Amino acid sequence: MAAVGALTVFTSDRTKGVLEYLMAYGVSPRRLFANFLVAALAAISIVVVIAIGVGVGAYLAVGNHVSTSLLLLLVGYAIPMSYVSGSFAITVGMYWSALSSPREGIGTTIGLAPIFGILPPVATLVLIGVFGATTGITTNGFLLVTGAALALIGLIVLYLLANLGHLLRRERLLSSS
Amino acid sequence: MVSSTLTDAEREASHGVPSISCRSVCSGYLGSEVLKDISFEITAPSVYVVLGPNGAGKTTLFRTIAGILSPSRGTVVIGGTPGDGQTARDRMHYLSHLDGLPDGLTVREALDFYARAVQATEADIDRVLDELQIRELSLRYPGQLSAGQRKRVSIARIFLQQRDIYLLDEPTANLDPKVAKEIRSLILELSRDKIVLYSSHNLYEAREIGRHVIVIKEGRLAIFDRIENLRASRFRLGVRLLNPSDSLEGWPKEGEYFVRELGGPEEVQGVLHDLDVRGVRVREAREMDNPLEDIFA
Repeated sequence: MAAVGALTVFTSDRTKGVLEYLMAYGVSPRRLFANFLVAALAAISIVVVIAIGVGVGAYLAVGNHVSTSLLLLLVGYAIPMSYVSGSFAITVGMYWSALSSPREGIGTTIGLAPIFGILPPVATLVLIGVFGATTGITTNGFLLVTGAALALIGLIVLYLLANLGHLLRRERLLSSS
Repeated sequence: MVSSTLTDAEREASHGVPSISCRSVCSGYLGSEVLKDISFEITAPSVYVVLGPNGAGKTTLFRTIAGILSPSRGTVVIGGTPGDGQTARDRMHYLSHLDGLPDGLTVREALDFYARAVQATEADIDRVLDELQIRELSLRYPGQLSAGQRKRVSIARIFLQQRDIYLLDEPTANLDPKVAKEIRSLILELSRDKIVLYSSHNLYEAREIGRHVIVIKEGRLAIFDRIENLRASRFRLGVRLLNPSDSLEGWPKEGEYFVRELGGPEEVQGVLHDLDVRGVRVREAREMDNPLEDIFA
C-alpha cells in the first residue's frame, strides 16, 4: 500500500516532466530511484507501525498475551517482509513504469503494483508450506526459509538499483507527451 | 561548424559568459538517431530562436545540451566543460514544454522543491513570486491554475537563481496570444545579457524576439544565422484601405489586402508616400509574408 503511494508520485512526476527537470539539474536516475525507495520505506514504516499497533492491540484487548510465536512471526517475518516486499514493489514498479507507455486502467503500473508487493510474501508462504509439508515445520526451518527469501528479494532490489545505468536508459524517464 | 557572428559590442558583452559548443553531435532515443551531426558554437549573449517543423529534433537538441540525453556521438561543451558535468549544468536553466509541477504541492511548495534542487533560498522564492506576479497563487495547487498561470509558475522556477544560459523549449506553446506576449516579455526582460535558446513554431514570434536563428530540419542543422541575414525570396506589401469599397488599380486583392510585390522593405515608404499623394486613404500596411516561412519550404 505504501509502495503504491510512492509509485503513484513517481509515475505522475515522470508524466509531468518533474523527473526531466531534476535530471537537468544533475540528479542521476539512480539517485531518483533511491529517493523514491527511501520515501516508500518511510511510508511503509508508518503503515507497519499502525498495522501492528492496531493488530496487536486488538489481539491483546481480547485477552491474549504476547507469545514467543507471535514475536517470532512479527520480527522474523511480518516486519522485515513488509520492508523487503515494499522495496521490491516500488523498485520493480518504477522499472515497469519507466519501460511502459502511459495507459489507463488496471494494466497501469499503479494497478499492477499491489501484485508486485504481494508476490514476495505469498511466494515465501508457499515455500514455507512446501518446506513444512515435506520436512515438518520447525522454528529453525521457518527462519531459514524466510531468511533466504528476504535475502533473495533484497538482493534483487539491490541488483536493480546498482545496475540501473545498464538496465534502464535515461530517456525512459522522460515524458512521452 | 557554424558560429554566431560577434559584433564588437557583443564580443565585449560576452566576456565571462559561457559558450555552447556542439561538435558533430548525434543524439536520440533508444538507439534511434534524431539529431544527426549537429555542429555549432554560440559565444555571444543573445536570443537564438530554434526553428523547425514538428519532429525535426528541437526538443532533442535542448535535452542533449541540457545533459538530459547523452550524445551517441560528438560532444557538447558548455563554457569549456563537458555538457553532462555538474559545472555545465550549474550554468544552465532548462524549461521544457512540460510544466513540471508536482501533484499535491502548492505553487509555493513546488517552488521550494525546485529551490532545494538549485540551492536557492526562501528569499529567492519570494523574489520570483513578486517578479512573476504569482504571489496570489502561492497556496493554489496545479489543478487550480489556468494554462497561463501554470506556465508562469513553471517559468518562475528558472529564475530562482541567475544563470548564464537559458534553454527554453516552446515556452509559449498552447497559450493564448495575450498571455504568450506577456510571457515572452517576461522572459526577455529577465534573461537580458544571457545566452537564450528559444524554440518556437511561431515564425512571427521568432522574428519578434530573436536576433539569431537556428533551423533544424530532419535532425540536421539547416541554418544558423542572424535573422536579418535571412532574405525573403520576395517582399510583398499588403495595404488595407480605410474605405473597404475603394480599390487600387494594378494591386491584386488577397482577402482584405491589396498586394504588390516590391524589391525590398526599403521601398515601402516610397510606395506609401505615392498612395498618399494619390489621395488613397490607408488603414493598415503590412508585410504579407514572413521571410522565415521560406526556411520551412
